[in-house]
Amino acid sequence: MSEFLKIESLSVLYDGKPAIENVNLELELGKFHVIMGPNGGGKTTLIKAIAGLVPYQGKITVNGMEIRKYRKIHSIGYLAQRGAQFYNFPLSAVEVVEMGRYRFKESSKTKRRKALRFLKEVEMVSHANRPIGDLSGGQQQRVLIARALATESQIILMDEPLTGMDPRSQSNFYDMIERIKEKHNLTIVMSSHDIGFTTAYAQNVFCINKKLVPHNEVVKLLNEPEISKIYGPNFRLAQHFHLPAEDDDV
Amino acid sequence: MFEFLKFPFIQNALIGGEIMAIFAGLIGPLLIFRKMSFMSVGVSHGTFAGIALGIFLGISPLWTAVVFAIGLGMFIGFISRTGKISEDATIGTLFAFSMALGIWLIGLNKGYHPDVMGYLFGDLLAISRMDTYFALLILIVTVIWYFWRGKAVTYSSFDEDFAKIVGVPVELDYYVFMAIAALVTVAAVKFVGVVLASSIMIAPGASAKMLSKRFKTITLISIAFGMLSIFIGMMLSFEFNISSGPCVVFVITTLFFVSLIMKWLRNNGVFSKR
Repeated sequence: MSEFLKIESLSVLYDGKPAIENVNLELELGKFHVIMGPNGGGKTTLIKAIAGLVPYQGKITVNGMEIRKYRKIHSIGYLAQRGAQFYNFPLSAVEVVEMGRYRFKESSKTKRRKALRFLKEVEMVSHANRPIGDLSGGQQQRVLIARALATESQIILMDEPLTGMDPRSQSNFYDMIERIKEKHNLTIVMSSHDIGFTTAYAQNVFCINKKLVPHNEVVKLLNEPEISKIYGPNFRLAQHFHLPAEDDDV
Repeated sequence: MFEFLKFPFIQNALIGGEIMAIFAGLIGPLLIFRKMSFMSVGVSHGTFAGIALGIFLGISPLWTAVVFAIGLGMFIGFISRTGKISEDATIGTLFAFSMALGIWLIGLNKGYHPDVMGYLFGDLLAISRMDTYFALLILIVTVIWYFWRGKAVTYSSFDEDFAKIVGVPVELDYYVFMAIAALVTVAAVKFVGVVLASSIMIAPGASAKMLSKRFKTITLISIAFGMLSIFIGMMLSFEFNISSGPCVVFVITTLFFVSLIMKWLRNNGVFSKR
């Protein structure tokens, strides 16, 4: 396995208490990796540690480069949990995408042109000038994906981006992620509670409950004894389903 | 109608007031969208302690107010960001303390008791030519900062985590913004007093927010409302012989309610949506 993102002995403490402990992971380039686990299990913390938003002990490297050095040169695409943004903020969709170009030394005109190109990729160019707060939840997520793409990062981190979305919107979201991942050869790391969809789309599922529980083999995860290790002994897995893609507006 | 414009003291007041409306109009929307509206209330009241300290020490109250306000702004920011206490809770605690400190320091002055009402409610008509230069200096500082860092501060106001990830120096920007906001508030205090300064800082931006969903438009409306309020307020003050500061605040508040009504009419389909 050619690991792209390598996490070694990662621990994060909040107020002296461990949020995650001794996590070791190797994630391949161009794959869709999903972190699962119970609430408070450390999914968000792990994503934030990779993003550099919380202090940590241990080592994270990207292509062999220590991630703190990597982040000084490259951005990392990031989608926070839905609802975390100020959605009544008076920025248009294209202005939000331009945030992803902050690091690039280019004219405002070039920034705008590139932001529009990324909006086109997520089929949101017709909404470019609408205030972000006027868009539906699914449309806002598309704009935020365009913003992540605008960073031209090889890594996109997504922290439970689908909370509150209906199954159709979730299905369309995953299809879009699949498409942009293939096109840009992206490494996507997403936290999720949704076993059904993630196991249908992800190439690598790993589970965290303070410590890393089993990972890598999606099929193995679906065995109830494995799932019970994460969510508790009375956990029963619901039926999985995969909706066909549709072009409706998410 | 415009005969009041021929008086030099009115001219100074208008020049100083309009300059103040521009820098307050630039900073106000940023304060509102960072959910820091109350910050200007805290700093303006804190300025009173700075003014009192200057009087007590026998040095220029303006400069002690500047130092005190910037210090207070940075301190509020520091406590809020590191102590896991909200800005509003910190400000609510500190501004009462600052007022108490100011009153105590003024009380310590044996023999000389300055006009406390003057500091609390200000007097636009007392603006000198030197004061307009002071306002101009603050305008230059604010405009330079705004065009240099305004967009980055907007980004961190919208999504601080993402702003950090793409390399915005969020912490540094935050503290510099607090210092700029404090500086602008001191200037507003100088012109309209401790109590009314926050109105000049916040109300035009709050009114503009009800009329537009675009940041640039909100900022432009905020500046225009501030400038209009100063002009009409001064005119009413001259015509009806009322204190200028309260007159300006009456106009600003009227514009706030007009904006509120316009928003309500728009939301109820009276104006066609774009």
